[in-house]
Formats: sequence, C-alpha cells, structure tokens
Amino acid sequence: MTATLPSLADRPLPGAGATWPRRRTALAELAAAGWPQRRRERWRYTDLEPLAQAGFNVAPAAPGDAELQTAAAMLESLTGSAPRLVFVDGHFSRQLSGALPSGLEALDLDAEWGKFDSGWAGSIPTTEHPLAALNTAFNQRGLWVRAHAGAEPLQPVHVVHIGSHRPQLAAQPRVLLEIGEGARLTLIEHIVDAGTGAGWLNVVTQVRQGARSQLDLYRLQQHGEQQAHTSLLAAELAADAELRVGYIDLGGRLVRNDIDIALRERGARVELFGLFVAGAGQHLDNHTTIVHAAPETHSDEAFRGIIGDHGRGVFNGKVVVRPKAQRIDARQSNDNLLLGSHAEIDTKPELEIYADDVKCSHGTTVGELDEDHLFYLRARGLNADDARQILTTAFAASVLERVRDEPLRTRLLDLVAARLGALKEKVA
Amino acid sequence: MLTIENLHARVGDREILKGLSLHVPAGEVHAIMGPNGSGKSTLAQVLAGREDYEVTAGRVLYQGQDLLALPPEERARAGVFLAFQYPIEIPGVNNAYLLKTALNAQRQAHGLQPMDAFEFMKLIKTKMELVHAPKDFLSRNVNQGFSGGEKKRNEILQMLLLEPKLAVLDETDSGLDVDAMRIISHGVNSLRSADRSMLVVTHYERLLELIVPDRVHVLAGGRIVKSGDRELARELDQRGYDWLQTGAKA
Repeated sequence: MTATLPSLADRPLPGAGATWPRRRTALAELAAAGWPQRRRERWRYTDLEPLAQAGFNVAPAAPGDAELQTAAAMLESLTGSAPRLVFVDGHFSRQLSGALPSGLEALDLDAEWGKFDSGWAGSIPTTEHPLAALNTAFNQRGLWVRAHAGAEPLQPVHVVHIGSHRPQLAAQPRVLLEIGEGARLTLIEHIVDAGTGAGWLNVVTQVRQGARSQLDLYRLQQHGEQQAHTSLLAAELAADAELRVGYIDLGGRLVRNDIDIALRERGARVELFGLFVAGAGQHLDNHTTIVHAAPETHSDEAFRGIIGDHGRGVFNGKVVVRPKAQRIDARQSNDNLLLGSHAEIDTKPELEIYADDVKCSHGTTVGELDEDHLFYLRARGLNADDARQILTTAFAASVLERVRDEPLRTRLLDLVAARLGALKEKVA
Repeated sequence: MLTIENLHARVGDREILKGLSLHVPAGEVHAIMGPNGSGKSTLAQVLAGREDYEVTAGRVLYQGQDLLALPPEERARAGVFLAFQYPIEIPGVNNAYLLKTALNAQRQAHGLQPMDAFEFMKLIKTKMELVHAPKDFLSRNVNQGFSGGEKKRNEILQMLLLEPKLAVLDETDSGLDVDAMRIISHGVNSLRSADRSMLVVTHYERLLELIVPDRVHVLAGGRIVKSGDRELARELDQRGYDWLQTGAKA
C-alpha cells in the first residue's frame, strides 16, 4: 500500500501546529483505508493509481500575485457582478471574493479549525472516501459558509475554483455549507483552469441543512483536458429540508465525483441530477449514494451521459432505505447516449431496501440516436449532421430543464451545445 | 411533376412495391387508395427517402431529376414534403425551433437569407390560424404530449410553412373526427395551385369529399391496379377492394 502513496506521510503538514493532530489522524486513516484500488468494487471502473504515482504536490503554497491576477481576469465572464467566493489552487482568496448578501457569512476554516475538527472533519467515513481524508490532511484556507436561519438572499452566490498555471499541483479545497433553519440559498460552483497542464483538484464539500431550509447547488465543471478531478459532496438534511443538486461535467481527463446525500429526518427531499459529456480520452465517473434514514423522505435522481467515440462514462447510483424509513419515495434514472463504436459506459443502480412500505423505481438506458427521429428531421430539410446535433443537444436539454435559475440554465444550454459541437468535430 | 416507373422496393427480404408506375402532372391532386398492406405507406416513405426501404428496380423522376439519388434532406429542400402517418414525438426539441430551422434550411438551399425571428413569428401565426393551432403549439416540444389530431395539424402546419411543390399526405385523415378533418382539408386545399402537386394516401373516401382529387389510383399487391376519376373512390367506398384484387392477381 505504501508503494502507492509515496512519501505522503513524510510531507510537511500545512497550516498552524494546532491543526496538525487532525491532519495526522486523517493521514493515518488514509493509510489504514488504503489508496483506492480497482479490486475494490467502488473503484472497479476508475483507476486512481496514476494519481498516486504522478508525484503531485498535495499541499501547494498559497498562490502568488501572478496566479491571482490570472484568476481575476477570468472572473468577470464567470460570475459578472454576482456575489462570489473564489478559490485559487484550493486556497480561498478573500481578495478576489466579494461581499456576501446579508444573512450569509464566510469564515476561514483555518481560524475555526477547533470547531471544524470536532464537528465536521471526522464525519466522513475514510474507508469509503479515502480522498476526503487526503483533503482533511492537506486543505488550507478552506471556507465555512453559513446561511443564518431564515436568510433568503435574492441572488445566487457563486463559488469559483480556479486552477492556476503552476504545474503538478493537487489542490485540496474544502467548503462547508451550513444552511440554517428555513434559509433559502442558490449556490453555483464553477470549476475552471487557467492553464492546460496536468493538475489535480480534490475538492470536498460538506453540507448541513437545518429544518425547512432549501439549497439549490449547481456545479459546472469545465476543467482543462489534461486535468484530473476527484470530488466529494456529503450532505445531511434535517426535517422538511430540500436540496437540489445539479452536476454538469464537461471537462477533465479523469473525473470521479462522489455524492452522498443523507435524508436524516422526516420530510427531507433531494432532487439530484447530472449531465456528463465525455469526449475522446475522457473518463467521467459519478458515484452517488442517497440514504433514506427517516420516514416520508423523497429522492428524485436523474443522470444523463453523452459519450463520444473513445470516451468513457461510469455511473453508479446507490439508494439505501433504512428499516424505519417507511412511506418514502425514491426514483432514479440513468440514460446514456453513445456516439461512436468506441464509446463506453458502465452503469449500475444499487438498491438496498430495509423498509416495507416504500415506493422505489430505477431505470437505465444505453443507446444511440433514434433513427425515426433522425429521419423525421431530415425529411424536414435538416442535414444529417445538424439533425444529430439537435437531437444530442435535446437529450442533454431535458436534464438541464431541471435547473431553476434561468440565466444559468440558458448559459448551460449554450455551453453544452458548444461542447457537443466540439465533440462532433473531434469524432469527424 | 412526379413520374414513377416500374418501382420495386423491399424491406429485408419482403418485396412490397412490385412494379408501381404513376404519373402526377403539375397542379393535380392524386389519391392513392388501397387495402391494408398494399404498399401505400411504403410508397410515401420511399418518396421521402427512408433508408429502411431498398429500391431494387425502377425510377422516380421529380421535376425531371432522379429523386432516388437524393438524401431525404435534399428532397425536402427541393420541395418534397411527407406528412407522416405517425408524426414522431421528439422530446427536448422545441416545435418553433424545428419549424424555423426547417424553413431556413430550405431558404438557404434556394440562396435566400435566413428569416429572422420577428418575420418568422409573423408568418407562422398566419399559418397557425389556418389549421386552428392553439398558441402553445410553438412553445411545446415537437409533437410531445400532442393529441392525435394535434399531431396531424402540426404536420399540415409544417406543410403550409414550407410550401412544398410535391406534398405526400400519408393517411392524414386517420384518427381524425369530422371537424378536425375539415380543418385539415381546408389547410391542404389552401395550398392547391397550378404549380403544386399532391399525392393523398388514404383508406377512406370521406377525405376525398373534402380534398377533391383529379385522379384516383388503387394500389394493391404493390402495383397500381386501377385508375380513374373521383367516381372511382365512391365506387370503392361501396364495393370494397376485393373485386379489384382478384383482377390484380389474374
């Protein structure tokens, strides 16, 4: 095992000395759990061995002026004048971030380390999420966002992760979102790179929602084409809380997203959807787990994959219904479009149901474009390429329709159409 | 306008058209009638360019050019329009978007500038009135959630917009009540002109009371077995097809 984690344990730990005990604990847990290996079911289709071998710098120094300037230049087009929280190479930058609407506050995780350590840091099981432990060990200048009870900011808040030009960095951003009782918030995450080099972003986002709170969390991942990306979203919902999560993955070479949602109390609801577009050489993996831990909880999950020639997608959707979670409703679907004879998708629903009064459904499809649809459009004068493009975009659009923020939805439709256009050119 | 000579077509091993010949001059409306399985829909699909059907012999001339050599989209842009018997539902594709894209594909093929959104809306609204299309026709996805009658009206709306030179209506009357049939016939008749031809495929004579054909052909066993004027349609309505099919086999 140590062979695949070269010298991690010997690295100087970042942050103040007071943070080291927790960081050391996390490293020890990571060592015990072991680096993800393909012989383990959770990692069967996604090989992280290259990340262990590549000699990334897992605790990069804070970005300098050059990196911040490059990042600043990218922000306008990403967020406009909307409130934003900006990370560069995993470090939160207050300088690049703006003021937050009233009812919201952004705390430095480093300064609140004691509370982080006792309340949040160890709450993710390392055996299932070893990379979260890596993040705990090496995150620096993480962010703790609090929406006070009843807060209802009118505008969405943007969280931007920018990778700089610096080579061989494994950035480890950590974001905590604490949504107070009855608060309502829309958060839009952007993940972009300034350069085209081979970096690695290992991001962990933890969400705790109070009773009756509502959070819409949209994530647009547009990494450069050499970038590796691993992420964990771990969310816990109290009574009648509502969470909507939308993951749009367009970039990156090796991408693994883990999404764990726990519906802890009665009446909690989650809508989880995603779109992944894998072109030649891209490997995009979404592993989701939704736990119905209380009665009358609802989940509605829909992921769509569009896989170009020599692209690869993985979807694993697990739904767990605990014994006391009666009268729950769980729906799941994963539909995939393969656009080439060397396109590949591995998709698997997993249902573990320990209650007897439940409504659960799941469905998986893998296919090509419908010949009847193509002919209909061609019979109306559209050429075959345009007809394919329109149908592929439509396949994606039906997931994007779930985005409630209209400017974002419009923008996503444009971005996805452009990405699909580029996919076609690459295939041709 | 359209000349079909000795057309043979098959799906897989099954031969469906077995030497079909037909001539439709410009400005005329011809009806194709015939029993189930006689090849009516196959003829419509072959004319539109469906690749599932393999043409094994014969030729089709449209305005003097070899229609079968063209891919479906080029046929459409050249003015051939098929109103589908079963219009396809396309989730995620907006109806107005399809209509505008189809119109502009045709305009582009004729060297015209694409029509802008404003002009298009003006034009499509006049066409929508003709087929009594509800306002939300444009904002919905193509045929998705449309009733049977709405789907057929949407086909005719597309036809009115694209103003084809040769319209092939494949059982456009199937599944329609009398009122809907009147509305659709009104739309179709509004397009009749000296430089436009139509091929109306139908089971029933009643449509031909509303869209009065210049000629009526009976398709049976993959061939035209009898042709006549509109009186032939009435005769078929009364006597059925059996007396003809016997003749076809002889």
